Amino acid sequence: MRELRFPKELYLGEQVDAALNVFARFGRLERDEDELTWIVRVHAASAAKERRLAGELANYALGATIRARGER
Amino acid sequence: MSEQILAVPDAIARADMGDGSVELFVDESLYPLEAVYGASFTFLDRCFVFLDRPQPGRLRVILSAKKLGASPEVLREMVGEFANELLACAWREKITERNRATIEAVTMQAIGGAMGPPSLDDLEDFDFTEEPFEDPLGIAMSWEEKYGKKTAPPAATEGDEE
Amino acid sequence: MSAGVDFAALGLEGLRVDHAAPFRMRRVAEGATVLTALDGRFAILDDDELRAFARGEVEEGSPLFEKLAGANLLADSFDVPAAAEMLRARRSFVGAGPNLHVFVVTLRCNTSCVYCHASRANMDAVHTDMTPEVAEKCVDFALSTTNPSVTIEFQGGEPLVAFDVMKHVIEYALERNANLGKELEFTLVSNLSLMDEEKLAYLIDRRVQICTSIDGPADVHDQMRKLPKAYGESGHALTLEWTRRINERYREMGLDETLYHVEALVTTTRALLPRWKELVDTYVDLGCRALFLRPLDPFGFADKTGDRIDYPREEYLEYYRRAVDYVIELNREGVEILERYAAIFLTKILRGEDPNFLDIRQPAGAGIGQLAYNYDGQIFTCDEGRMLHEMGDDSFRLGDVHTSSYRDVVGHPTVRAVVIAGQLAGLPDCNDCAYQLYCGVPPVHSHKTQGSIFGRMRESTLCQVHKGIQDYLFAKLAEGDAETRAILERWTTIRPREHFLHGA
Repeated sequence: MRELRFPKELYLGEQVDAALNVFARFGRLERDEDELTWIVRVHAASAAKERRLAGELANYALGATIRARGER
Repeated sequence: MSEQILAVPDAIARADMGDGSVELFVDESLYPLEAVYGASFTFLDRCFVFLDRPQPGRLRVILSAKKLGASPEVLREMVGEFANELLACAWREKITERNRATIEAVTMQAIGGAMGPPSLDDLEDFDFTEEPFEDPLGIAMSWEEKYGKKTAPPAATEGDEE
Repeated sequence: MSAGVDFAALGLEGLRVDHAAPFRMRRVAEGATVLTALDGRFAILDDDELRAFARGEVEEGSPLFEKLAGANLLADSFDVPAAAEMLRARRSFVGAGPNLHVFVVTLRCNTSCVYCHASRANMDAVHTDMTPEVAEKCVDFALSTTNPSVTIEFQGGEPLVAFDVMKHVIEYALERNANLGKELEFTLVSNLSLMDEEKLAYLIDRRVQICTSIDGPADVHDQMRKLPKAYGESGHALTLEWTRRINERYREMGLDETLYHVEALVTTTRALLPRWKELVDTYVDLGCRALFLRPLDPFGFADKTGDRIDYPREEYLEYYRRAVDYVIELNREGVEILERYAAIFLTKILRGEDPNFLDIRQPAGAGIGQLAYNYDGQIFTCDEGRMLHEMGDDSFRLGDVHTSSYRDVVGHPTVRAVVIAGQLAGLPDCNDCAYQLYCGVPPVHSHKTQGSIFGRMRESTLCQVHKGIQDYLFAKLAEGDAETRAILERWTTIRPREHFLHGA
């Protein structure tokens, strides 16, 4: 399992959700949150796959956040 | 596990050879968040990029090589290039702010001139319902609505006369 | 502001700038510093003049005063209306909409270039031919531009492979334009190896301009641009033969040969660097009036073959300087030939006008000066954007002729982004560069080489080339030789080639 903690002040929640939707079919993704962060737990068949899935998901969430902020 | 492969103090950047990643710490009083976003965006095709803010005024950028087994040279290059891009973004933001009027004027003229006025087809396709607007001066009212004869009041009855 | 100027060596502590209008400066040679004004006028100062200027010791009426005032470099005499007019003239192209419409009528090509920027396909890949239906839609789209002038440029692949498609485009465009009355031109970019008399007769009749590639002497050309033996012994020989034949045809028609000739372009590869003299001689022997010493681009196959054929840009600049020195020398002997890069920059520097070369202007031409149409009807900001698509990167795709409207395409967010990124007033380094008003960087180049449409000019090979060429040109002007100056000024003459215009 790999845990990603996206700070709410840096990532838009709807874009983290969008990333979860896009990558859900590549592994098991658990969504959670606390006061300051969006939390995503990534489960995949191997550590290497978890690393890649977590990385791609984080990139998607960051890219989408930057795009969405630029359009505001 | 942090390793001393970068020629900078750990407080600025450090590498994790095992994970094939580097962490850079960015002082937000020098580099605004928009510059960090800008630099990060240009790395999305090369690295996995993750941002957080471990303490107020200090951002952490984690860059992980997409393929495992990145060499120290690759990680050093990632740090160096990110630092250059970050500086360029920060400086560009200041310059753009200073020259905003010129840049906006040229951009508007260039795009407006290239697009030309909308055709009737374009206007037909335009969704006017998206943003309803207030009409305090009655511009959207028809002539009849605005200035036409008012509907005649019901005829007075004899009984109403004084 | 002090690029390359060593104040201490000049006995200066710095600049007194209260007497000066805003300016940028750059050292261009030993004892020569160029100062450029806000409106792009310039003065080249020797070290004594620079010292006097830096100390604020410019006596009214002195030759130095006249020199500086004439270049709008002094605060007291700064001419605001003239500066505004000059800036407007330098951006006269803004607001007119795309003029250049690149039609990739096929990706098929009979030649395999080591550096192929176009990502060519094999001759049996007929699915990469543009269909007549797509061709008509592309023409309709191109003629929707707000620009009163339209140039349709046939690219490939090798456009002569799809000659019927080309013909269909030309006939349909002429028919459609009969009612629209735009100034319409056609340009063919071809290796000429599939040319024949029938095709040439048609192209001459329809007044199609012809451009080709000649990469220097035969051995270098044939090594870089591999033509299967089935088409001839040497691609170089075929290209030269047809270039001569076409130029001869223009002469027979009584057209002025200084204006009407095959335009040939060079793609500089490593093997060519020491062969600059032979390269120039090849062009002169062919009767070419222009030579365009282009460095290698990072698109297409060049991305993969770069290790073998690319080179440090310092070496390119050395080659450039030697070649252009030789071209100037030939001009002194009465040979009329110019170098295109130099002509583009000099037109801006000496005439205060912009020749509208889309890759060296600001904003760059992508989307607002140029559109590229792929064989399948997809539309891109520029041909390089289309090349990136073939490499798997769709960043510069704007839509397609089947579903997009003209306004959707030129008003696309990507066009807005590249217009902003293509303005040097918003880029670090460029904003302070003495050459800002003469220069330009296509955002697609920065995107490909540096991952950002804004680029980082300190690390940009294109910036290095542009700066190096302008350094060379200013150093030439600083020499103060009247004959050299006259030659360079002659290169800036713009004469329209009216024979090629339809509907004018």
